[in-house]
Amino acid sequence: MSMQTQTNKAESAVQTEPILSVRGVHKTYKLGRVKVPVLHGVDMDVHQGEWVTILGASGSGKSTLLHLLGGLDRPDKNPDKNADKNGGSQVSVQFEDRELTRLSKRALDRYRADDVGFVFQFYHLLPELSVLQNVTIGGMIKHGRFGYRSNRKEIVDRASGLLDRFGLSHRLKHRPAELSGGERQRVAIARALINEPSLLLADEPTGNLDVKTGASILDVIIELRRDAGLTLVMVTHDDRIAQQGDRVIRLVDGRVNEA
Amino acid sequence: MLAMAAVLLSVATILITWSVMGGFLKTLISSGRTLVGDVAIVWPNVGFAHYDDLIERLEADELIDSASPTIETFGLIRLPDDRVELISIKGIEASSYSDVTGFVDTMWWKPIDEPTPKDYEGDDIRLQPENISMFTDMEASGISMTRLNPSSGKVEAAGVLGIEVTGQNYRTKWGGYYPLAPNRAMPDGGVERIETFMPRDGEVELTILALDSSGHPIDPVRRVIPIANEFQSGLYEVDQGTIFVPLDIIQRMLRLDAAERVELVRDDQNPFEIVVDPETGEIGPKMKEVIGVVPARVTTVLVRGVDGAELEAVRSRIRAVYAEFADAHVGEVPSAFQMENQIKTWEDLNRTMISAVKKETGLVLFIFGIVSFTTVFLVLAIFWSMATEKTKDIGVLRALGASTPGIAWLWIRYGASIGIVGSVTGTAVGYWVVLNINSIHDWMGRTFGLVIWDPRQYYFVEIPSEVEPIKAAIVFVIGILTCVVGASIPAIHSARMDPVKALRFE
Ligand SMILES: Nc1ncnc2c1ncn2[C@@H]1O[C@H](COP(=O)(O)OP(=O)(O)OP(=O)(O)O)[C@@H](O)[C@H]1O
Ligand SMILES: [Mg+2]
Repeated sequence: MSMQTQTNKAESAVQTEPILSVRGVHKTYKLGRVKVPVLHGVDMDVHQGEWVTILGASGSGKSTLLHLLGGLDRPDKNPDKNADKNGGSQVSVQFEDRELTRLSKRALDRYRADDVGFVFQFYHLLPELSVLQNVTIGGMIKHGRFGYRSNRKEIVDRASGLLDRFGLSHRLKHRPAELSGGERQRVAIARALINEPSLLLADEPTGNLDVKTGASILDVIIELRRDAGLTLVMVTHDDRIAQQGDRVIRLVDGRVNEA
Repeated sequence: MLAMAAVLLSVATILITWSVMGGFLKTLISSGRTLVGDVAIVWPNVGFAHYDDLIERLEADELIDSASPTIETFGLIRLPDDRVELISIKGIEASSYSDVTGFVDTMWWKPIDEPTPKDYEGDDIRLQPENISMFTDMEASGISMTRLNPSSGKVEAAGVLGIEVTGQNYRTKWGGYYPLAPNRAMPDGGVERIETFMPRDGEVELTILALDSSGHPIDPVRRVIPIANEFQSGLYEVDQGTIFVPLDIIQRMLRLDAAERVELVRDDQNPFEIVVDPETGEIGPKMKEVIGVVPARVTTVLVRGVDGAELEAVRSRIRAVYAEFADAHVGEVPSAFQMENQIKTWEDLNRTMISAVKKETGLVLFIFGIVSFTTVFLVLAIFWSMATEKTKDIGVLRALGASTPGIAWLWIRYGASIGIVGSVTGTAVGYWVVLNINSIHDWMGRTFGLVIWDPRQYYFVEIPSEVEPIKAAIVFVIGILTCVVGASIPAIHSARMDPVKALRFE
């Protein structure tokens, strides 16, 4: 496994343009009058098919950064003057040929639906829906209600294919509450992949699992990446997990400290 | 679920209240119509003459079914227990009055085959076989307004009294009457029991102030009137304060009957002329001379239009007929112009009652407004808490790419579906309850001893149990709209929430 990773790393670094490119990103939360600066000037690139891990202490802004990458949030419009010193005069989050900071709300919704898959630490499955429905809902959102109807069979087939692959074929009708943590996270990964995104953003996907289950989830992700050529950005604060990726980005004091 | 139950209950409650209230008001108004016909020509106090000619002309019209002369006045009534009360007196011509109004149907003392709706035990004395012949006679007496005097064996003109006038008809719990023998208070403090049953041997004494031809009161006139039957119109005010008396009796008492017109003989004519009194045979000096006849008068002519005729059309036709009539009797009857506003529809005549009813309807609608508002608020609160509970899920959906309008639409659809299910079941429940309201009420009475609608206190025996489809449709649509409105505020709120905050929401 380690061998494969190494190979991929070599390939990605050499052969591809950055699929995702971040320049001069700032983010400050405002709690009433108090400003909580989280990111001050983040620059980073992610290449096609690459597995980047983001490592950092709790509260260092890892999740915040991931949300910005996924178009769930927008960076500050007028970052402080420090931006110039870092050489990044312009705030930019570029995905392929799209500049996310300039996209309309609608286009950002599209971006999330078509190009990005999110996996969260606490799975975030919808408790009222069955396992299968939790996966197909992504397709429903992408195609709209009427589009879903005409693509229904295809989406359901794909969803059950993914779940089958993750060893959940016998639990399609179950509710999330009836599954173990590892099973739930596999459902969440299947949901993230239903629309065949090119970018998978995972926020501590193993953070809530025991070591053994966590390792099995990682195996699933690694395998997927290899098969589908997924680009993967994974947040973690576990050094050992981080080292399995192609490249580790350290977030310290709201800046990137690439190792 | 909770929201649906709230919608269901509100929809059902509003439908039930509205229907029952509306039914109640409708019954009230139709009772008010029972004894007035469609249109009345009214010239109060002194009345107007040649009404026979007017009626003949009216009945010749194809829009008019029948017409009847009446006199409406007030007087005092002395009851068998010597109480004296104010009473509204209607002089009517029994047969034509029955043609114009529902007079015959209001007759209470008559044999019946079926018990009245709430009389489950069959306690009504009118049902009992041994009374059939007595009540058959009484019904006939009431309709003809005559009564056989048992002592003289003669048939006398008789009146029909409101069932609540004497206070001797005990109102049973099933909404019928049981006659009691009245007690007369004696000066020594004792009471005397009078074995009287009004339609059998009861009499009342009427005192009226007669008016002269210019409308000034002359002398009080008294007359004892036997009672042929008692009536129930359905309007308590009418039933406890009205007596029907044959028209000619009232005309005589009020001096509205045909009379000789006389003039005092002037001194300078023949002072020695004598006349013989035709009754006594006495001879005396001629003091007065008959110079004509004053025709009989009535205060009101009631008219009934043919079935299906429009009220206003009937009224304007009557105006036209009256104009011809007035032309034929110039100087003797009020002119068409004077009568213009005295030709009144039954709605005009019941205006006070109808406007009270309308006010009541307004009040009810106002209360509905508040109830609906509460429902909107309730749905809003329930949806708000549901949306809050689902904050994280909304964040997840946003992360999956769902748009703001998409999420809002999801909630509104949810609200609408709750509204539809709630309204459908609510309308169904409301319908069912209203249609069965009387049996439900009886069941409540039997099981819990809970009687809200006591026929002893309320004048309507049964709770109205009709649902107007229009009302049901309105309530149904409002129910759905309420849900959509109630859901849309939380929907918009939650859809516009920052997805990152939603994901962090605990
Ligand atoms: N909506 C917000 N308002 C104010 N402060 C916020 C908000 N969201 C995050 N923060 C703050 O920003 C900082 C970074 O948060 P973030 O969740 O990105 O950290 P993290 O690196 O993911 O931490 P962890 O490893 O615990 O998940 C934290 O100090 C947090 O308190
Ligand atoms: Mg985090």
